[in-house]
Amino acid sequence: MYSYILKKILYSSLVIYGVLTVVFFLFNILPGDPARMMLDKREDSKQLELIKIKYGFDKPILHQYFYYLNDVSPLSFHETIDEKSLNYLDEKKYNFTKIYDFNHTAIVFKFPYLRTSFIKTGMPVTKIISSTFFNTFFLACASIIFALIFGVLFGVVSALAKDSFFDRFLLYFSVVGMALPSFFSSIIVAWVFGYLLHNYTGLNMYGSLYELDDYGVSNSLVLKNLILPAFTLGIRPLAVIVQLSRNSLLEVLSMDYIRTAHAKGLNKKIVIFKHALRNSLNPVITAVSGWFASLLAGAVFVEYIFAWNGLGKEIVDALNNMDLPVVMGSVLFISVIFIVINILVDIIYMLVDPRIKIE
Amino acid sequence: MKEKLLEFKNLVTEFRTEGKTVKAVNDISFTLNKGETIGIVGESGSGKSVTSLSAMRLIPSPPGIISGGEIIFHQKNSEPVDLLSLTEEGIRKYRGNDIAMIFQEPMTSLNPVFTCGDQVLEAIMLHQNINKNDAKKLTIDLFKQVQLPDPERIYSTYPHQISGGQKQRVMIAMAMSCKPSVMIADEPTTALDVTVQKTILQLMSNLQKEHNMGIMFITHDLGVIAELADKVVVMYKGKIVEQGNVWDIFTNPKHPYTKGLLACRPPLNKRYTFLPTVSDFMKIDSSGKILDNNVSVEDFTKNLIIPDQKRKEKQDKLFTKKPILKIKNLKTYFPIRNGFFGGISSYVKAVDDISFDVYPGETLGLVGESGCGKTTTGRTILRLEEPTSGEMVYKDKDISLMNAEELRLFRKEVQIIFQDPYSSLNPRMTIGNAIMEPMQVHKILSSDKERKTRVEQLLERVSLDPAHFNRYPHEFSGGQRQRIGIARALAVNPKFIICDESVSALDVSVQAQVLNLLNELKDEFELTYIFISHDLSVVKYMSDRMVVMQDGKIEEMGDADQIYNEPKTSYTQRLIDAVPEGKTEDIKKHLEEKGVKI
Repeated sequence: MYSYILKKILYSSLVIYGVLTVVFFLFNILPGDPARMMLDKREDSKQLELIKIKYGFDKPILHQYFYYLNDVSPLSFHETIDEKSLNYLDEKKYNFTKIYDFNHTAIVFKFPYLRTSFIKTGMPVTKIISSTFFNTFFLACASIIFALIFGVLFGVVSALAKDSFFDRFLLYFSVVGMALPSFFSSIIVAWVFGYLLHNYTGLNMYGSLYELDDYGVSNSLVLKNLILPAFTLGIRPLAVIVQLSRNSLLEVLSMDYIRTAHAKGLNKKIVIFKHALRNSLNPVITAVSGWFASLLAGAVFVEYIFAWNGLGKEIVDALNNMDLPVVMGSVLFISVIFIVINILVDIIYMLVDPRIKIE
Repeated sequence: MKEKLLEFKNLVTEFRTEGKTVKAVNDISFTLNKGETIGIVGESGSGKSVTSLSAMRLIPSPPGIISGGEIIFHQKNSEPVDLLSLTEEGIRKYRGNDIAMIFQEPMTSLNPVFTCGDQVLEAIMLHQNINKNDAKKLTIDLFKQVQLPDPERIYSTYPHQISGGQKQRVMIAMAMSCKPSVMIADEPTTALDVTVQKTILQLMSNLQKEHNMGIMFITHDLGVIAELADKVVVMYKGKIVEQGNVWDIFTNPKHPYTKGLLACRPPLNKRYTFLPTVSDFMKIDSSGKILDNNVSVEDFTKNLIIPDQKRKEKQDKLFTKKPILKIKNLKTYFPIRNGFFGGISSYVKAVDDISFDVYPGETLGLVGESGCGKTTTGRTILRLEEPTSGEMVYKDKDISLMNAEELRLFRKEVQIIFQDPYSSLNPRMTIGNAIMEPMQVHKILSSDKERKTRVEQLLERVSLDPAHFNRYPHEFSGGQRQRIGIARALAVNPKFIICDESVSALDVSVQAQVLNLLNELKDEFELTYIFISHDLSVVKYMSDRMVVMQDGKIEEMGDADQIYNEPKTSYTQRLIDAVPEGKTEDIKKHLEEKGVKI
C-alpha cells in the first residue's frame, strides 16, 4: 500500500505540473494588463515601467514561466548575490533550507512560494489561501457531515419502508433538492430563516465564521453563522445520498448473503446494520468524496450570498481584478486538494471493502 | 418406527403479484425422519426451493406468502412445534440453530466484507453461550471437520480469496456450527465443478452419519442424490408426483416425469441417437393434466442405442478428410502488470502450448475443471483473445494473420454459443432483433423483411414460437434463452460452432433437449463443433474425439469412447469418477453401508 501511495504522489506531481503549466499560459495570454489594473486610474508610464520590471512582465513569457515554476517547485535554484534578479534568494519571500551553494547560485529546498497578490499589495498568496481556506473547509465539512448523517439515515429508513408514504415523500423531496440551484436556495434560506423567522431562530442573513465584535476591536467566533450556509450547501448532497443509499441498500438486501444472514437466525437489526449497510456504502463514498472535493474548491454562490469569507469568494474577487498570483495559486491548491482526497478515498474503499486491494 | 423430525403437512406457498396468484407449492406433504436424507428433485420452477425456504420461513414477502398447511418440527427435548405458527422472533431461535441451510451459490452466499471465520463465529456466538475465544476454537475445529486446508489461515481470509468449493465448505461449517438436527441443502453443488461436487457430496454424507442429522437435499439432477438419499420426493409444478425410497425410485419409477428425469442424463457407457426427454414419457393436455405414455425407461432407451460398428464406420469416413481447423503450439498468456510504469511482471499461462486438429463434420470435446484453459482456447480461436504464439489455420488461412475483412468473413463462418443464457442476451433488444443483428452485419439476405422471415424460420427450427419475435429476453426461461442463442449463431449460416459450456447452466431435463437440438442441427446444416464443458458425461456423449485439459495443457486426446474406457492419466480418471451417474450398483452399496435391506 505504501508503494501505491508513493506511486500516486509521483503521478500527482505530474498532474500538478500540467495544471500549473495550463493555468499559467491560459491566464497570461488573456487580454488585459495586470500592471495597469494595479495602477488603477493613476496613469503613469514610469510607474507602469517599474511595476513591469518588478513583476517581470517585461521578460518573454517563457522566462516568466520558468521563474514561476522555480518559485512553486519545492526544489529550486536561486541567485544569491544580485538582489534585482527575479529569483534572488530573499529570506522575506522564501522559507528555505539550502542544500548546495555555488558561486552565484544556490539549490534550496523550500515551501512552494506562490508569490504575492497584485491587488492586496504584498500579501502572500499562501496567506490569503490559508485564511480563506479554513473557512471553506469548515463550511464544507459541516455541510457534508450534515448531508452524510441525514442522507444515510433517510436512505436506510426509506429502503426499509419501501413504497410507503414516507419513502415516496423522500423521493420527491430529494428530486426537488437535486434540482434546486444553490443561488436560489441560499437566497430563500437566508430570507426565510435569517429574516422572516429571525426572531425565532436568532440567525443572521449573512456573516462569516469570525466577525469583528460590536466595538470593532477583536475577532470572535460566531458558530451560529455556520448553520444556514452549511444547511444550504448540504441540500443537494443530502438529496443525492438519500437516493444512493436507498437504492444501494435495496440492492444489497436482495443479495444471497443477506439470506444467509437471516438463515443463521440473526435479527433484522443486525442483518441490516452489520451485513447490509457496509456493503451498500461504496457508491455513497464515491458521491461524497467527489462532492466534498468540489465543496473545498469553494462554493461560490453560497459563500457570496451569505458573505462567507471563503476560498470561492476569494477566487471570484481575484478573477475580477486580474489578480493572477491568487488565481493561479488557488487553482494549484485546489488540484492538490482533489488529489489528496482521491488518495484518501482509495484508502477508505479498502477499509470498507476487502475485495478492493490496491496494488 | 423411525423418529419423526420434520413433517410437511399440506403446505401451500403462493406468490401474489398484481391480481395474479401463483401457487409455487401446492398442497404437499412428506416427512423427514431422524438420520435420514431426503432428496427433493424437480426442474426449475417445480417449487422445490420454495418448499425448503418455507421451512425456514425465508420466503421473500411480499410477494410470497405461506397460505396453508403445517410444518411440524419435532424437537429434541420438548414438544413438537409448528414452525409456521411461530412469530418472527420465535422462528429465529430455530434458524441456524436447529435447522440450518446451505445455498446454491457459494460465490454470493457469503458476505464479502467479513472474513470466513467471523461469519461462522457469528452464528456460534448467536446461539451458544460461549466466549469469543472458545467460539474461535470451535470455528477452526469445524473448518477441520469440513476438510478445509489450513483452517487457521482460512479463518482470517475473505470469501473472494478462496475457491468456490472452499466457500461451500465454509457454508457447510456454518450450517454445522450449532449441531442442527435438520440440514437443508438447496442445490449445494450445482454451481460447482463435477470433481468438486463429488467431494462435497462425500463430505455431507460423512457429516450426516457422524451427527445423525436429517438432511433435505434439493437438486434438479437425480444422479446427484443417488448415493446420498434414503428417500426421494419428485416435484413437478408445485406438486409431489412421486415419493418413495431411493431404490424404488431408481429401479422402478412409477410416474412418467420421474422416468424422464432418470433417462435424460447422458449415459457414459453407450451412445444414443438422441437423448430421451421428459416429453418422451408424458404429455400434457390442454387442461394441464399429465398423460402417461406408459413406456419404461429400459424399453424406450433400448431402441436408441447406436451400435459400435455403425459409429466406427461413420468416424472412419470423418477422419479421411482434410482438417478444417489446425491448431499448432497455441499459447495464450495473460500478462500480470504492476510496477510504476505498468510493466509486466509475470504471466498467467491460460493456454500453454496445445496442438490439435478438427475435421469437418466432427464434434471435438474439450473437457477439464474450471481454470484449465478450455474457454480461453475457444475464445482464442475466434480471436476474442489474442494468441501469444502458435498457429491456428482455418481452411488454409492463419487466423492470427487475418486482416479486418478476412476476419469478418471468418467470424461469419465460425460462431460461438456462450454459457450464460441470462447475460449473453442484451436485455433491451427483442429476441428477433438480437437474432437479426448478425445477419445485418454480415449482409445476409437483401432486405430486413427477408431477414425477418428467416429469423422466424430459425425460431421455429429451435422450437420457439415465431410469434415471439418482438419479445424481450426476460420473458423466456433459461432453456429457451439458450435456444435463442443457438438461433442467433445459426443466423449467419456458419460452418463451425464453438459451444462454450452451452448447457452447464441448465437443468438436466432441459439440457437433454438442447443437446438433442445441437445434434439435429449439426446433421441438418453440416456443422462442425468444438464442444466445451466441465462435465465429462456431456462431452463424452456429444463428441467424436475428446481433449482433456489441465492447467492450460493437454492431458490426453483421442477417441471419446476410448478415453472413457481406458483413461491414461489419473486426472481423466478423476473426471470420470466424478460424474454422478446414479448407477444401481452404487445405490445398493450406499444403502448396504447404512444397513438398509433392499
